[in-house]
Amino acid sequence: MSLVSGPGRAVGAQHDQQLCIQKHVEYIKNLDSRRDELEYWLTEHLRLNGVYWGLTALHLLGCPQALPREDTIDFVLSCQKDNGGFGAAPGHDAHMLYTVSAVQILVTLDAVDELEKRGLGGKAKVGSFIANLQDKETGSFMGDEWGELDTRFLYGAFNALSLLGLLHLVDVPKAVAYLQKCENLDGAYGIRPGTESHAGQVFTCVAALAIAGRLDLVNKDRLGGWLSERQLETGGFNGRPEKLEDACYSWWVGSSLAIIDRLHWIDGSKLAAYILRCQDPEAGGFGDRPGNMVDVFHTHFAIAGLSLLNHGSIKEVDPVYCMPKTVTTKYLSK
Amino acid sequence: MASHGIPRYTVQERSEEARQQELRKIENYQELDRLVQQKVAAHEYTPETLQSISELLSKNPEYYTVWNYRRRALQNEFSRASAAGESAVGEITTLIKDDLQFLIPLLRKFPKCYWIWNYRLWLLDEAKRRLPVSVSRRLWEEELALVGKMLSLDSRNFHGWGYRRFVVESLEKLTTDEMRSGSMAQSEFDYAKKMIGTNLSNFSAWHYRTKLIQRLLNERSASDEERKKMLDDELNLIHRALCDPYDQSLWFYHQNLMCTFDPTISEQTMAPNLSDSERLDYLRGEMEEIQDMLDGAEDCKYVYQALIECTLLISKVEGRLSNADQQKVLSWLSELKKLDPLRYGRWLDFERSLSQ
Repeated sequence: MSLVSGPGRAVGAQHDQQLCIQKHVEYIKNLDSRRDELEYWLTEHLRLNGVYWGLTALHLLGCPQALPREDTIDFVLSCQKDNGGFGAAPGHDAHMLYTVSAVQILVTLDAVDELEKRGLGGKAKVGSFIANLQDKETGSFMGDEWGELDTRFLYGAFNALSLLGLLHLVDVPKAVAYLQKCENLDGAYGIRPGTESHAGQVFTCVAALAIAGRLDLVNKDRLGGWLSERQLETGGFNGRPEKLEDACYSWWVGSSLAIIDRLHWIDGSKLAAYILRCQDPEAGGFGDRPGNMVDVFHTHFAIAGLSLLNHGSIKEVDPVYCMPKTVTTKYLSK
Repeated sequence: MASHGIPRYTVQERSEEARQQELRKIENYQELDRLVQQKVAAHEYTPETLQSISELLSKNPEYYTVWNYRRRALQNEFSRASAAGESAVGEITTLIKDDLQFLIPLLRKFPKCYWIWNYRLWLLDEAKRRLPVSVSRRLWEEELALVGKMLSLDSRNFHGWGYRRFVVESLEKLTTDEMRSGSMAQSEFDYAKKMIGTNLSNFSAWHYRTKLIQRLLNERSASDEERKKMLDDELNLIHRALCDPYDQSLWFYHQNLMCTFDPTISEQTMAPNLSDSERLDYLRGEMEEIQDMLDGAEDCKYVYQALIECTLLISKVEGRLSNADQQKVLSWLSELKKLDPLRYGRWLDFERSLSQ
């Protein structure tokens, strides 16, 4: 069981302002039936992320059973490598990004114990794969053995390890000090120390600080100001000053604002209306902007964005973990 | 990562012929994938295998695992060349140069594909590890030219700017004996200036400028007077730029500069040792400048935000907000509530904080 992650074929105008739940559910469920499209095979490197995006969106849409549970678990486990990490698909190399998705999927399906039963070395092995990617000098995290650095990986490590109850395997204070070095005078954060602020990196840094219990280090008013300036007249968010809006920033900006208690600093109803204009009301799914191609990445983050805004019947999302709130509440209290 | 900016197209049932064609493409792709997997599993790092890897990556540069195969294949080649003795440097240089060349058309076609840039950095780092400084330095210098070209095509490319920092850091470390200092702070400052000159609303370049000014002053062990001089120049520059007061990038740079007058964060700025009275002088001068900008731009919310910010900074330095100033802040705030309905909640919170 796996889902195609690339662009979908879709039609339709976008004046419909209602959330087409059933269309989106069908769209996600059918992603795995497109093996006769080249795109399905060219996006294999996103497969495990795609399952996480699709599964989480389905949970938020109130259809947690829409994907076959056992097949999903089997697929996740088939992506594990000997070093304990997970690749994007069977045979692909292990990388932080997919290992985090694997953990998030197993937690969402309440199937972490499958790691002990059928995985390679149980959750301890997964934890050690992640912990070994921390740079002991700087506290930052690499994506894999080849050494790319990005605050995304630090967040991913904190996310997965805390869900597994293994955060003690890494040097949290050092990682926190590293995050502080990524902060700029505008109160926002960059991908590495000294780099320009970017809404995606703000989410990774602020959510990681939330997991570490160090939100006291965030300049909430200044950051909240910068984040709220991401909203444009269309209602959508951009990721940096003077850039175009994109539905996925509904999540990166919105969740960051929610984590620092400033979500009411933007116009939620205008944002929701913008997100809804990005949906394909006929074939399902969301694109980056109104009228554009849909894909499961934007579909997931658009729905998660609507969840932050308590839109309609969508289930509550955890702004720190980007998973259903009921799931994280249950897991983190274990 | 996902599709960006691709217009949705009307679905057309694929003709049977088109379907068959696509199936053949899939078959070819999978066959190539299988071949590469087999060769790599058998550690057969021959020129033919490398050719197949190239072919597969040209079809799908997002296939990160295959970039890892390529690294292993290259490492194998490097070890073989190293064993060759005298000709090793020449051989390794050729291998790296050829591979850098292989990436160029891919980068042109897929400029936002992370994996290609990561692989390229790894390759250049290999040059650093395996070749004499004089040789690897030349490769990194060419890389600086390449990233310059790329940023001239897409001047806000987030990865492009990050990549530039890596290249500059490497070049600064790859110094030869005859070079006095490796620092490129001045030439990079000039570069940022050029980029701002091309497009004033390029915040990436303004951000880079902020970082470089700090470095320049620190490297010169600049005196407080020199720091003040730099600050004056920057204030003049931003005032001239703000003849377009509707550009958010400029106001964020302005906000960065105002941090110099905030006693709690001034140590992170270019002029950390200003006295309180100097700070107040600057802030009052700033208030006048901004007030002038209002003329003809009464509907520009950024102007009111900046007036409020400066007034609050004055109160921070003085230790109190006078009644007169509070009234002014409230009147600007009422403008903001009108002009900036998107952020109404923010302004309401601020209003409440003032009355506390």
